[in-house]
Amino acid sequence: MASVVSNGALRHEKKPLGMRMRKYWGFYLMFIPVLAFVAVFHYAPMFGIRYAFYSWKVVGDPKWVGLANFEKLFKQSQFSVAFANTIVFSVVKLLLNTGLAVVISLLLNEMISLKFKKVSQTVIYLPHFMSWVVTASVFSLILSPSESGLVNQALIKLGLIDEPVYYLADKGWWRVWYYIINVWRETGWQTIIFMAMLTSIDPGIYEAASIDGAGRWKKMRYVTFPALGNTIITVLILNLAKIMNLFESVFVLQNDSVKRATNVLQTYVYYQTFNSGASADYGYTTAIGLFRSLVGLALMLICNYASKKVRGRGIV
Amino acid sequence: MKNKNVQYVTPSGLKVEGPTGLNKPRSQYTPFNFVNGLVFVVVCLVILIPIWKVLIDSLDLTTGYGVKLVPTKFGLAGYATIFSNPSLLRPLWVSVYTTVAGTFLGLALSTMGAYVLIQWDMPFRTLFANILLFTMIFSGGMIPSYLVMRRIGLTDNPLGPILLPAINVYNLVLMRNFFESIPKSLFESADLDGCTPMGAFFRIALPLSKAALASIGLMFAVAYWNDYTNFKLYITDRNLYNFQMKLRDMIQSSDLPEVAGGATENTIRNACIIVAILPFMLLYPFLQKYFVKGINIGAVKE
Repeated sequence: MASVVSNGALRHEKKPLGMRMRKYWGFYLMFIPVLAFVAVFHYAPMFGIRYAFYSWKVVGDPKWVGLANFEKLFKQSQFSVAFANTIVFSVVKLLLNTGLAVVISLLLNEMISLKFKKVSQTVIYLPHFMSWVVTASVFSLILSPSESGLVNQALIKLGLIDEPVYYLADKGWWRVWYYIINVWRETGWQTIIFMAMLTSIDPGIYEAASIDGAGRWKKMRYVTFPALGNTIITVLILNLAKIMNLFESVFVLQNDSVKRATNVLQTYVYYQTFNSGASADYGYTTAIGLFRSLVGLALMLICNYASKKVRGRGIV
Repeated sequence: MKNKNVQYVTPSGLKVEGPTGLNKPRSQYTPFNFVNGLVFVVVCLVILIPIWKVLIDSLDLTTGYGVKLVPTKFGLAGYATIFSNPSLLRPLWVSVYTTVAGTFLGLALSTMGAYVLIQWDMPFRTLFANILLFTMIFSGGMIPSYLVMRRIGLTDNPLGPILLPAINVYNLVLMRNFFESIPKSLFESADLDGCTPMGAFFRIALPLSKAALASIGLMFAVAYWNDYTNFKLYITDRNLYNFQMKLRDMIQSSDLPEVAGGATENTIRNACIIVAILPFMLLYPFLQKYFVKGINIGAVKE
C-alpha cells in the first residue's frame, strides 16, 4: 500500500532536502505523537525479544542461557499441543466461517423481499458487536448442565439425551462448540464483504444470461461463482496471515478441565507466565512468543506473496 | 399455473424454449423463494434465541429454569442490583471513561497519522509508512509487551488500557484510504490561500471525512467497550476492572455481589450480560451503515 510514488517530485527540479523538510515542518510535528505511541507500544517490546535467550524467574535477574529455552520448548508436549491447536482451530474456523458466509450471501442475494433481507442482515451482523466475554458468558449459561441450561433442557425434552452433558468441560464437545460459537458470532459479519461483491455485479450480465436461457442455477454457476472466486481467495489469504493471533476467543471459553487439551500458543504463554506462580520464567515464555511471531511473520510473507500473485497487490 | 412452452429467438440469435410470459416478472411464490425465506427465519432464530434467553432470564426472579418464552415471575431486581451496588457500578464507570477517552485518543492518532501519510512529496514519508506497516507483520509478543508496560508504570494503571489500543495501525490505514479520496486540489488551493497544514487538517480533511470518522470512531468505541485482553494482562487491581472483567468474574462465580430485592444469582448474571451489550445494541440499528462502512473502505479502496 505504501508503494504509490508521486511523480510530482520528478517533474520540477528537486530542492535540497533541508528546504523540502522545512516546508513540511507542521506535518513532522503532527507525526511525533504517532511515532511516540508506535515506539513505546510496538517497538520497545521488540527489544524485549532478547529475553528469549535468558532465563528470568519472577524473582532475580535475567541470566543468559543461549538456546536452552528453545530446546526446552520443543521437548514440551504442551507446546506441540498448543501449536497444533493454534493451526487447527484457526484453519477449521476460517474454512467453516468463509464457506457458510458464501452460502448465506448467495441466498441473501436471491431474497425477493427487500424488507426481510434488510432485517436478516441486521440480525446476522448483531453478534459481532458482543465481546468475546459476553459471547462466552451467554453460551456458558445456555450450555450449562444445570436446570437453567437451555440446550440440555431442550435436548432432554426432545428425548435426544437422557442426562445433561457438561459440554464445555468435555474435550471433544468443547471443540465442537468452539466452532459453533465462532460461526454464530462471525459468519454474519463475514457476509458483508461477499454481499458488497455480489451487489457490484452488473445486473446487465444476469439479464443477458436470462435472455440466453440461463436459469437460476446456471446464472449462479457462470456469473456469480467466478465473480466471487477472487473475493473468497482474498478473504482466505487475509485471514490466513493472522491465524497465529488466536487468543481471546479460546481463553474466555476455557475452563480448568479442558485447559491442557485446548490451549493455543497465546493462552499457553499466558498461563505459563501468570498462572504458574514462582516457577514462571519470562525468558521461556518470551521464547514461545518469539516462535509464534516468527511463524506469524512467515505466514504474512507467504500470504503477501500469494496476494500479489492473485490480486496484484500485497496485504500490507 | 401451467405454462405453455414457446420458442424464443434471443438477440444473440439463440433459439430458446421457455414458458410464455418470459418478459413478465416471474411469480414470487416459487418453492425456492419459500425455502430461502424459511432458511433465514431459522438463521435469525438461531442467532436471537440465545440473546432472548439471556434477556428473559435477566427479568425473571425465579431463575431461568427450563425452556420458556417469557419470564415466569417478572421483576427488575437484577438491574436494580447492578445500579445500586458499588462493586458493579465502578466497573461500569471504568468501561465508560476508558471507552470515551480511548475513542477520542484513537481518532486523534489515526487522523493525524493518516493525514501525514497522504503528503506524497514529504521527505521520509515512505519511511514513516513502513515504520507503521512493519508493526502489522511482526510484534514483540505478549510477554515483552507486558514487561515494557510494567517498566513504564502502565500496569495497574487505567491509562494502560486507554493508551495501548489507541494506536491502531489498521484503523490508521483505513483513515488514510479515506483521506486519499479527498481531491488534492482542495489542499493545494488552501495552501495557496495561506492555510497552514494544521489549518487544512481541521478545515478540509476532518470536515470532509465525517462518515469515516463516525465509522472508525465506532470501531474504536466497540473495541474499548469490549476490551478484555488488555485489562486481563495489565490490570490486577479489582478496583480498576472494567465491566467485561467483572462480568467474566461473575460468570466464573467467584465474585457475586449481594443479591437484593428477590433476584437470584442467575438473574444478576443475565442482567449483567444485557448491560454489557446494551449500549451497542441500542445504537446499532441506527448506525448500522457506519459500522458496515468501516469494512468496505478497507476492502473496496486500494
